[in-house]
Amino acid sequence: MATEIAQSFEALEAQAQLLMSVFTKAGHEAVAPAIIQPADVYLDVIGESLRARTYVFTDPDGAELCLRPDLTVPTCRLHLWRNGAAETPARYCYNGPAFRFQAQGADAAHPREFRQAGIERFGDVERERAEAETVGLTIKALEKTGLKNWTLQTGDLGLFRAVLNAVRIPTRWQKRLEEAFLRPGTFRTELKRLTEAPGSSDLGLRNRSLPADLVGSLDQTDFAASEAALVAYLDAQSIELIGNRTIAEMTQHLLDVVADQTASPLESAAADLIEQYVSVTGPALFAGQRIAALLKGVKGGPGAALDAYDRRLALLANGGLDLSRVMFSAEFGRTLAYYTGFVFEISAPGLKADGAIAGGGRYDGVMRAAGAPRDVPAVGAAIHTQRLLATVSGIAPKEGL
Amino acid sequence: MTRLTLAVPSKGRLMEQTTERLTRAGLTVRKVGNARGYRGEIDGMPDVEVAYVSSSEIAAALKAGSIHVGVTGEDLVRESMSDSATRVTLLTGLDFGFADVVVAVPACWIDVATVADLDQIAMPFRRAHGRWPRVATKYMNLTRKFFAEKGFGDYRIVESVGATEGTPAAGTAELIVDITTTGETLRANGLKILDDGVILRSQANLVASNVAEWSAQSRRACDELLAKLQSSR
Repeated sequence: MATEIAQSFEALEAQAQLLMSVFTKAGHEAVAPAIIQPADVYLDVIGESLRARTYVFTDPDGAELCLRPDLTVPTCRLHLWRNGAAETPARYCYNGPAFRFQAQGADAAHPREFRQAGIERFGDVERERAEAETVGLTIKALEKTGLKNWTLQTGDLGLFRAVLNAVRIPTRWQKRLEEAFLRPGTFRTELKRLTEAPGSSDLGLRNRSLPADLVGSLDQTDFAASEAALVAYLDAQSIELIGNRTIAEMTQHLLDVVADQTASPLESAAADLIEQYVSVTGPALFAGQRIAALLKGVKGGPGAALDAYDRRLALLANGGLDLSRVMFSAEFGRTLAYYTGFVFEISAPGLKADGAIAGGGRYDGVMRAAGAPRDVPAVGAAIHTQRLLATVSGIAPKEGL
Repeated sequence: MTRLTLAVPSKGRLMEQTTERLTRAGLTVRKVGNARGYRGEIDGMPDVEVAYVSSSEIAAALKAGSIHVGVTGEDLVRESMSDSATRVTLLTGLDFGFADVVVAVPACWIDVATVADLDQIAMPFRRAHGRWPRVATKYMNLTRKFFAEKGFGDYRIVESVGATEGTPAAGTAELIVDITTTGETLRANGLKILDDGVILRSQANLVASNVAEWSAQSRRACDELLAKLQSSR
């Protein structure tokens, strides 16, 4: 199949060497992480949807492996393998193939085998500096290969968390909205559900199948008594307790559900605020002011997160970036599986929206999923080099590139 | 391949039921050659060649187009092809081999009745156990597609080829996706079906391959076969 043959391999390699020279000059060590990876780490971080777009297979020993769908997780694993302590600061760069199953059929813009060049940096405590430098270095490398008309789209999941914090809603709702944020459909349903009075609609009654006598014997202020009530209920119904999920876990969830059914709904002002934040989009400079205005007068405002936003922009400007080319969208980053904070994407005119030239961001949770005892600050960026070559050479991606 | 190739299960209960169903439609199948032969013919339909194929392989043969039509469960068709709608056509249900593909959780999960509830307990489960809830199944594709449509993604599939319903009690999975006819086996294993957990109501189907080579002759024979099966429902 033509899409798998890199006919322009020499041109691609020459371009990649150029990118790598910029990265190494900036202090990133060149590494070549393994192509075959344990599927575990990816499945854990991204979830089962991974199987829909990754080549997962079983080796003769029964281990579940995959062809790496990106180079970020492999670089994390390489870092862990080299350093016992995952927090050891390090900067890496790489250039190599990655593999993705294309359900709609592979084409030139979406090949199932493609090449990525990129950078990762771990353990930086100065978070915004690391983020700004990662963006700056990526753009510097892209420009070195001849890219001129780029645009930079950014998002910030940390800012969303700060907004939730500021509107003061129960912690369990906050957690739920945070988790739901990554799935726009679920998020809207959840937000709507929380703003409705208990029992006012199907959404509010979602757990109507709960037995009334059990609900009546639960006590929000006495966990042990609630546990005992659940055990007694299961006994009375002759339902055997099986599996790994404990009585305590079930009790906690039951208590949360019951609390939801009786709690006053989320104030519509708070829900409005969340919705208004989610719809913020535009030039990054104005977006910051817009968010500040939105949250003006909200007690405990977004403070630190908004400061971080401003500091990052200032650092980008200090690095020589023209801020008028930086866009911000509160929704951006939602569908990118493992990012935890700042996210960005670089595209060029002529490429389809889902075909960015480069992208990256902060992913503090990945190192832990890969085996580190705790989260480790991590920022990175990856460049789709075939798309880059097609863009700078002025030809649309075509068969065989 | 100008005659119509019809694949039927080569052994067991499914073969018997297929033969019964064909007989009811006035179709008598005779094995050709020695008694253990893998080929057969239908009396009065010289344009049909019957192939006895292991029931687990009929879906794959339809997908590859090496047979024209076959008798197989809808569950196997949907599971084995991500693009089943373009590869094959389900011509008619055959009124046997009924089985529902369902999501079942421990009956003691009083707090879980729907997929939305699963979504809510997934994160607390992960905090407590360090991993997502595991779903034991041999229907990996059906499971993934069903949960994706429901917006649920925080789980891990563990492949299970036998005794799937015992995995939650054994502690090797938290819930299962499996076939059931009466639900009795599930109940015996301390499981319950989620309120919105029926993924597919399956039965044996006459299925046509869209990628096989069809001649006018085989098409005619197929139409005749289908007409006889439908008029005897």
